[in-house]
Amino acid sequence: MELPVLNDKPAAESGCSAGSCGSTDDQLDHLSDEIREKVQNHPCYSEDAHHYFARMHVAVAPACNIQCHYCNRKYDCANESRPGVVSELLTPQQAVKKTMAVAANIPQMTVLGIAGPGDPLANPERTFETFRMLSEDAPDIKLCVSTNGLALPDAVEELSKHNIDHVTITINTVDPEIGAQIYPWIFWNNKRIKGKKGAKILIQQQQKGLEMLVAKGILVKVNSVMIPGVNDKHLAEVSRIVKEKGAFLHNVMPLIAEAEHGTFYGVMGQRGPTAEELQELQDACSGDMNMMRHCRQCRADAVGMLGEDRGDEFTLDKIEEMDIDYQAAMEKRKVIHQAIEAEMNEKRAHKAANPHELPKLTTRPVLMAVATSGQGVINMHFGHAKEFLIYEASPEGARFISHRKTELYCSGDDSCGEAETALEKNIRTLEGCEVVLCSKIGYEPWEQLEQAGIQPNGEHAMEDIEAAVMAVYVEMAEAGKLNESLAQKRATA
Amino acid sequence: MSLSIIESCVNCFACEPVCPSDAIYEATPHFLIDSKKCTECEGDFAVPQCASICPIEGAILDALHVPVNPPGSLTGIPPEKMAEAMAALQAH
Repeated sequence: MELPVLNDKPAAESGCSAGSCGSTDDQLDHLSDEIREKVQNHPCYSEDAHHYFARMHVAVAPACNIQCHYCNRKYDCANESRPGVVSELLTPQQAVKKTMAVAANIPQMTVLGIAGPGDPLANPERTFETFRMLSEDAPDIKLCVSTNGLALPDAVEELSKHNIDHVTITINTVDPEIGAQIYPWIFWNNKRIKGKKGAKILIQQQQKGLEMLVAKGILVKVNSVMIPGVNDKHLAEVSRIVKEKGAFLHNVMPLIAEAEHGTFYGVMGQRGPTAEELQELQDACSGDMNMMRHCRQCRADAVGMLGEDRGDEFTLDKIEEMDIDYQAAMEKRKVIHQAIEAEMNEKRAHKAANPHELPKLTTRPVLMAVATSGQGVINMHFGHAKEFLIYEASPEGARFISHRKTELYCSGDDSCGEAETALEKNIRTLEGCEVVLCSKIGYEPWEQLEQAGIQPNGEHAMEDIEAAVMAVYVEMAEAGKLNESLAQKRATA
Repeated sequence: MSLSIIESCVNCFACEPVCPSDAIYEATPHFLIDSKKCTECEGDFAVPQCASICPIEGAILDALHVPVNPPGSLTGIPPEKMAEAMAALQAH
């Protein structure tokens, strides 16, 4: 069966290939109305939505049926933020209670996902019990699940019954040789199967599951972990294949590997990709399909907007004491969701009616960092930002590239030495950026940023991110600041 | 003859549903195997199921109290390499 191709434009003549190139709302603009309807309030599937809506994961699924070299099943650390890590395992009943407590207290929470800490489909009873109860008790919450794919073909029928219209499959390779370097074993047909043989079965199951979901009309996002020297050269092909089979979004994430995590890759010294390597691969894949760049690789029990975690406010002890009137909460949520959607639609319509009138430029692209807490505007103080969104401004417009955390994954020892202050660290995080846009900034960081060759800018507080990024870009171009290459600029600095 | 689970168990639930004898049960601080029920899967499977899905090296012992999955056998991390990494972290 010929599947619809969502983004089949060849590498464009403008020099900016398809994918989420161009302004961020393009990411949704080229989707069909039906898909857009499904993802427009899903923060993990729509870049636009992630500025407004929140998500949560409930940790009901501890068991796993495979081992990945980037995962350590012993891990539980409250200070860690990465997939597979949780603090409190929940029963399905506790998960439902927690979900309703969060929905009542964070009305912009639209999505409940089950993502581990093991594989949700290796815990079918706990996972489906949770979905069954939630689809009855909290019908206004979208349900989604992520999986390694091994048990997926057997679960597709059950998934479609629970009205789950988003599934994420982690596909790191389609080649068993490469798979054997990522997955040391799988549990399959009552045996532990190691090496290439196991990887081959896993790959077959993933691909079969993907095809079955697409045939059922369930939206599929594919996650891939970029592992330099292992699958980095291969992921563009993975991207092409999963797109052909009907996945609508591809999310290439950087490997997280530190020795203290106790994972195979961490202990063996396998490095993760640099921001530049990741971006290069995402750009290479985006010629083939819709890429996702706003993933925050969150914990299997994360709560809140992407990039924040409010899990501490909803521990079992705390939710036990909450008295939730879900009917009332649902009414309130509906009003708030409608207001947010109206705001998003208005913005979209405003942009369509007022296309950025860019002067004809032939200047080089510039990376800019933006401090925001959501709503698509610059509304965060430089010193309060836990992360920066990175945009690339060029004569074609502004495009969202990635986010960079200002804190390291682990607050313990790290390789940069203790003498480095938090400010110096944050400035190092912004490497490659020439401008940082924020609502306000103190005198000291201002000076240090300037010394590092990054121009702080607080003139666009509360303004739309993309419009501000382009306004600053045009200003730079007109002032002749973009006539020299970045390398020349560095040399003279 | 029975397998047993020791304290390195992380309570991941993976073994409980795959046991053909319903010998495994949730307990505090970790899962346990009822030695009266455990058959080591004889007659049902060629290999003990709990030890074939368990992700933690050393967490399941055979009847002679020998780990079914010795260090390095599941993660692929050579034990000396793991010791080296942990020593480096401790030294910090």
